[in-house]
Order: sequence, then C-alpha cells, then structure tokens
Amino acid sequence: MVYGSSSSLFANHTTTSFTYTFTTKTSEKDAKNIPYLCNICRNKCAGFARVEDGIVTKLDPNPYFPKSRNMLCPKGNSGIQALYDKDRLKYPLIRIGKRGDGKYKRVTWDEALEYIKNSLVEILNKERDNRSTIAYCNGEGFEKEEMIRFFGGKIGSSNFLDEGSICLNTRLGAYLLTIGTVGEPDVGGSDYIIFAGSNRLESLVTPDSIELAKKRDATIVVIDPRCTVTANKADIWLPIKPGGDLAFCLAMTFVALKDKLYDKDIVKKHFKDFKEYKELILNSGYTPQWAETKTGIDAALIEKVARDFFNAQRPLFHPGRRSVGSRNDFQFRRAMVLLNAMAGNINTKGGIIYGKPLKLPHIEVDEPLYSNSKDRFDLEGIAYGSAQAGSWINFRKRVLENTAPYKIRALIARKHNIMQSIPNISKTEKFLESLDLVVVIDTMPSDTAMMADVILPECTYLEREDLAVSFNYLEPSIALRNQVIKPMYESLPLHVILKKLGTKLNKPLFNVSKKFDESLKEDIQKFGEREAFKRGGYDLVELYRKTLQERNRDMIVSTYGTEAYKTLKQKGVWYPNMKTYRKKIFNNSYSYYPEDKKKYRTNDDYTVNCKLKKMEKYNLDPFPLWRDEYDYHVPKGMFRLITGRYIYYTQSATSNNEMLRDIQSTNHAWINNSVAKRLHIELGDLIEIKSSVSKIYIKAYPTNKIAPDILFFAHGFGESSKELTNAYGNGASDNEIIEDKIEMVYGDAVMNETNVSIRKVGS
Amino acid sequence: MRYGMAFDYELCINCKACVVACKEENGIEKGANKHRLWIDSDDLEGDYFSLQRSRTTFKPVKQCQECLHPFCMPVCPVDAITKGTGGIVMTDAKSCILCMKCIEVCPYEARYVDDKRGFADKCIFCSDTRLARGKTTTACQITCPAKVRIFGDLDDKDSEISKILKEREYSQLEYGNNQPHLFYLKPLKK
Repeated sequence: MVYGSSSSLFANHTTTSFTYTFTTKTSEKDAKNIPYLCNICRNKCAGFARVEDGIVTKLDPNPYFPKSRNMLCPKGNSGIQALYDKDRLKYPLIRIGKRGDGKYKRVTWDEALEYIKNSLVEILNKERDNRSTIAYCNGEGFEKEEMIRFFGGKIGSSNFLDEGSICLNTRLGAYLLTIGTVGEPDVGGSDYIIFAGSNRLESLVTPDSIELAKKRDATIVVIDPRCTVTANKADIWLPIKPGGDLAFCLAMTFVALKDKLYDKDIVKKHFKDFKEYKELILNSGYTPQWAETKTGIDAALIEKVARDFFNAQRPLFHPGRRSVGSRNDFQFRRAMVLLNAMAGNINTKGGIIYGKPLKLPHIEVDEPLYSNSKDRFDLEGIAYGSAQAGSWINFRKRVLENTAPYKIRALIARKHNIMQSIPNISKTEKFLESLDLVVVIDTMPSDTAMMADVILPECTYLEREDLAVSFNYLEPSIALRNQVIKPMYESLPLHVILKKLGTKLNKPLFNVSKKFDESLKEDIQKFGEREAFKRGGYDLVELYRKTLQERNRDMIVSTYGTEAYKTLKQKGVWYPNMKTYRKKIFNNSYSYYPEDKKKYRTNDDYTVNCKLKKMEKYNLDPFPLWRDEYDYHVPKGMFRLITGRYIYYTQSATSNNEMLRDIQSTNHAWINNSVAKRLHIELGDLIEIKSSVSKIYIKAYPTNKIAPDILFFAHGFGESSKELTNAYGNGASDNEIIEDKIEMVYGDAVMNETNVSIRKVGS
Repeated sequence: MRYGMAFDYELCINCKACVVACKEENGIEKGANKHRLWIDSDDLEGDYFSLQRSRTTFKPVKQCQECLHPFCMPVCPVDAITKGTGGIVMTDAKSCILCMKCIEVCPYEARYVDDKRGFADKCIFCSDTRLARGKTTTACQITCPAKVRIFGDLDDKDSEISKILKEREYSQLEYGNNQPHLFYLKPLKK
C-alpha cells in the first residue's frame, strides 16, 4: 500500500490523490515484526505486524498470548485495511454546514481545540460550572479509562456512557451480584456445555470460542431461534421462541430441585436463601411441560438436558456473550448462574472461574471536587445500573424529553458510533442535534462523526502504543500494544490529544470554577490561586507530564521488573514463568500454563446469592421468576426481528473495511424459506421491513435456518455517512427499526422485542 | 521433499481468516472471485423443524491440490507450468498467455486470473513469500482459529502432517491418477 501526499480533506473527494493498492505482497526479505494488539473487536488478540519500507504488509498471529492462542480472525487479518482506509479521518475538522450533511473545513489542531475551549467555557458559564453538562462517551476499547480519568476525574462530569447498556451489562451484573465475579467460562475443561442465544462461533472469536471450535470431547447444546454456525455444529440444537431462555432455565432448575440432582454439599456451604428459592420454584410449577409452552421446546427434551447437565462431570451453562435480547435477560442470566452454582461448577475446572488476574497499578492523580457538578440521572428508577456505563436509552430519553434535572449541552464521543449502535436512530440524531457542542474523536467518518461540530482524528491501533493491559482469569497474562508505524496524516493517539486539550482548557475552565465554586473561592482565599489550583488537583495535564511510553515502563518495571518490560516490548506478551510454562503442542497450538498452574480454584469462600433483596424496592423479582409479560407474542402476519452478527464484521466499526466487504458484501434479511415462497420472495429480492419506529430496505435471504415467524439481519450495515465510501448505503441498519425499549435492572437496550411487517418491493 | 496439507475440516467454522490472510500475505487483488482458496458451504436439508444439521458443512476444497500428475501442466501450450521445490505446481507469470486452458481443466476450480500480473494464479503454499523467508507455515494455516490446516513435508516421517495422516483416517479428492497432496481428515465426532 503506497500513499502519496493527500492535501484534501474528506469532504472533497475530487482532489484526493493518493495511490492505493488493495494488498501488498510480502517480500522474501527479512522485515521488522512488531508485536501489537488488535483492536478490531473486544478480544484484543495479539499479533506481529510485518513492516517493509515503512508499509505494514501483513499481520500475523502472536503465539505468546494465551487469550488469542496464535490465531487472527478474518477481521484481525483485515486490520491493515483499517490502517490504510482511504476514507480515514486525516485532519482536525470543524463543521461548516448543517449537522449531518458532511460539510467540514480542515483546521489545525490548535484551531480545533480553540473552538472546543470557547464552546466549553460558554457552556459552563451558562450552567454555572455544572461539569456534568458535558457528557462523554467511549465505546469498547483501550484507553477508555483515560477518557474517564480526564473528563470524569479531572473535568468533573458524572455523565459517562459506554457500550455496556447496549451490550451485555445484565449478564455481567447477574454474575457479579450472584457469585461475586463476572467469571470466566472454562469451555476447554467442560464436558457438557449449554449455549443460549450466544453464537460463539460467529459473533467474535475469543478464547472460549477457540476452545469450542476445537472441542470434540463434550456434548454441546445450543439454544437459538436461528440455526447459526454454532447451532449447526452442536450435538443438540433447541430452536426456541425469543425470550424463552429464562423459562428453559427455570424448568431445568425445577427438575434439579424436584429430583435433588444438585450438589448438596456446595449448596450447604455456599448458598444463601436457597430454601426460599427452592420452595418458590417448586411451588411456581415451572415444570418442563410449562416451559414447553413458553419456549416451544419439547418438554421431554428440556427434562433430558436438565438431567444430562446435572449428571455431567463438568457441566457448564455458558454465561453468554451478546447484546440483551429480552426484557427478562437479567433474570435469565441469574437463573443460569444459579444453575451453574447448583451443579457445583463455580471455582472449578470446566466451570465458572474466579481465577487470578495479574495486577497492574495505575498512577494516581488528584481529582478536583467541583461543588456545582451534579449527579447523573439516567440510572434513576433502574435497580442496579452501572455508573461506568450508564443507560444510553434512558439518558437520551431524559435529554430529549427535557426531563433531566439539568441541561446536557455537550457530548464528547470517542470510538463510539452511537448513531448506529443505539436502537431508534432518529432519536439519537435528535439528541445530538439538541446539543450545543458535539466533539467526535475517532478514526473514521462514521455516522456519529457526521453529527459533530469538531472532529479530532485519532490514529488507528497500529499507529500507537497504549497502556499495557492485564488479561484473563484462568491463564492470566499482560499484553502491550506497541506502536507499529508512526501516526499517518495529522492523526494522534488519545493521550496526546488529551494532553493538548488539557493544556488548552486548563486555565479557562479553572477561571469558570473561580466564578461559581464557593469552596474553591475559599481555598483561593486561604492558599492563593496557584496553590489552590495545585492542591485541588485542577491541573488537567497532570497525568500527561510523562509520555505514555514512560508511564508504561514505570508501571511494568515497578511491578514486574525490567525483564517483563523487555519481553513486552519484544514479544508483546508477558506472564510469570512464560518461558518455562509455554509449550508447543501440535500444529501451531501451544499450552500456556501447565495444568496444575492454571487458576482453576482460587476462591473457596465464595457466596451464592439466590436472593437480591434490592430488587423488591423496584418492584422487580428478587428471585428469577417468570412474569406473564415475558410471554412471546407476534401478531398474525408479522415477524419478530432478531439481531446478531456475521463473523466478518464487528458492529459498525468494520463496515467500511475493503477486505471484509470482499468476503461478505452486504447484509441480508433471513426469512424462512417456506414463508418466502408463499410471499413470492426470492434470494436477493428487495424487501421493506417496517416496525413502529421506521422502515428499512434490504435484500432477502430465504433459508430453512430460521423460524417462520422470525426475521434476522446482521448488525453493522446501512451507514448513512457518505464519507464512508464502501459502507454508505450498503445493506440496512437494524437500529433504524429496533424499538427503544429497556430492561429495568441495568437500563440496557432490549434488542429482540420488536415485531415487524414485511413487503416485497423489488426483485 | 513433498509438501502437503491436511484438513481437520470438521472444525472449520467458515470464518475465512484463511482467505484474508492469504490475500494479505500474497498480495492478491480485490474481488470476491480473486482468491487462491475458498471455503465451500453446503446448504442444510430439511425444513426448519426437521433441519439436517452437520459438523462438516464447511469444506476447504477450492484450493490447488498440488497433484503429482496435475491436469493443468500438460495442457499449457507454453510450458509455463512446472514442478517446483517440494512438488509445488508453479506457474511462470511471464510466460503465461492466459489461454485459460489450465483454469478450465482443473476440477478443483483452483485457479483464477490475476489481472495485476496477467496470469493464471493459484495457491503455491506461500512458497515465494513465507517459505522463501524460511517459515514453515503458510498464511492460511497459521492464522486459523480452529487450526484446521496442517502443513508440512510428506516425505519427513516426523513432520506433523505425516504423523496425523498415520494416526487418522482421511480421504482425498482424486480424479483418476492425479494423486493430490491435500488430505481431508475423517471427522472424529458424529
């Protein structure tokens, strides 16, 4: 891939003048191989980047990393295309047209930051130094913590949002509240595994899915309304009505309790409120016959799976990994983790692992206490919620309906394409339109970037070093993302952006506080301004006095010594005894820890909470129970829309990737083949899918792998940003038509409860 | 030395990491029909409620089989196709006149037209990239999440491929006496 100089900005394609080659054949010569960590999806696989004459020509898997086990998925391999994407954000930009129309002018970094400063000062003056008027968000990825430390800790906003409420916070919360850890499932060690709605062979490749793909020594049960690749490969596939998973778990619990199949010693030693749970389940009549009416799964099969699960040596009900499907998702995950615990598979091989992650201490800095900074409001009425994630739909709703206790005037969005990722896109658009200032820090001109007033180009993951990260519970390791090549164009890494921004904002924002903050006024009187600034922790660039590279070195050397640091720079991965523990097995596979050194059992004092008393206060069930409102219903002639992923795409972040487009050109709507025939819909026909929210147009894929009353299409398509030349107008976006409903335990978006009608519009 | 590849294809999840890695490593051009390897995927029989599922839906069959007696070699009018190190069937890009005969005669649909270099390209086990650099793995093999592909020297009895072929039953996609060097391991799990 060769780039000439491009003097144009993206808004003006006609003058763009770089030479672009799709791929670059690697040469016979030796080249630099730099260890890096992938950023294409959540897993953060380790790789080595081959650099020839300054060009990244190939990404290879890193054999040292227990988490990615010497592999790179199709998306990881396509990371080069993210680096050399011709549509990348290259320069700081300031909007000159209307929001959303893509008209921007190229500015210098200083001009962009000056604009942000002026706007923030005005906003904070209006809001009398209520720092929480500046909301900020960061999707999944490294350095999210840096955003929180800067905009939360230093600037003082309590309104942080991330992908948690449009992802799997209910699953994380259910495990954490019930057994005290989100846990790590040991798929490799289990002999009977149930996956419910978790398409582990397609959605994203993680250690558990690698184990699953290779696994032959276990019975695999997959519960899914769609015959996914995971379902197709399973020993038993149980097609289920969407939202019925909780009923399935309750019936399994019923069978286990009635026939006392559970591990009595474990229950006695670790369970709280078990008796009450037991009586409630048995009295509620959650028989397999009852569950058949809720799930559509044959009662005898439910009973068989329940018995086989409890009779297995090392059974595992996989915790799951997907966005929230139904409003009862938290209760479903609760019932599931209780099943795991009843089967005695917590804190043991083949079960849910507490493990022992390696510690990495971060530098502490002082954070100011702003007297006028108000609390967040999006979790009011939500039973648990997460202040580290918030509730996007609730937040957006309160802002749009003007029911927030104060005005939200600004949003700083980093690596979070909220225009694509939150159900009901038109509401997100209106939300963004309502703000005085929208700043987007990203690598691509996403739909969200097109709503920004200021766009700050961040470099891609191959162009920067990030803070080292500790990974995994069972086979823990530390991995370091090294810089492969210098940032292209005028893009910068986040910590440099924050340092520049902090320098720009330091005095002006402090001056606003000086006007409105009574306790700061007192401090200034007492200590003088300079000292009050210092003591109060107001210095926004305190964290960036050292470079990120220096911070990494200090952090690693002080905790694990120079050898660990050297290894991380050379190999990208380090853990204690890596040299002696790591062994080649067969065909490029390795074992990373000897069996007796794996962290199977690390917490013999764990507690299993059957009851969550706090739920009662919110009129929710303290034990996992079924409610009538959970019953599956689709009006005649309509379909239930369910969403999911292709293995070739990661949400909307990869939608413009040239290589992945080559593999899977677009998304299709899965429709049952018999139904399609009746409606005269053939492969590739254009259909309209309409919900109460909106409608989309998409090509049809008639298949026998989906139920007659269900419709599926994959997330990550249908971008509206014209600056994404590959992705624009390609396929359809699920969130355009998914209704914006939430569940009430974490305020998470419920993705699979929208009924739709369809109409053929073209062939 | 005789290079070969075995496929534990029961484990294939059709993620096509192999296809992408091959394209990036070997500088293959853009286009869904421009590739040195591809995974075929079977449709499932039956209707939704009686679906005939299978662990072997995905088949890494569209790839040069490095035949001992390749169909492509004798039909080339300009002798552009020769046997290289390890029995790899090589095609000389400069001599190739794109008469398409080798493409038509190959039962595996292994070849495609490389428009950049103007010849009938196919998989050569990364012999002018990775193997030339002294690596012992191909791009498709090393990247595979399920480690479906096992590559090596069939003449070396200690090589992993020799061992697995001794250990496991396999089949080959033979046409007459062409003697392909790709092996499909019999599934272990029903």
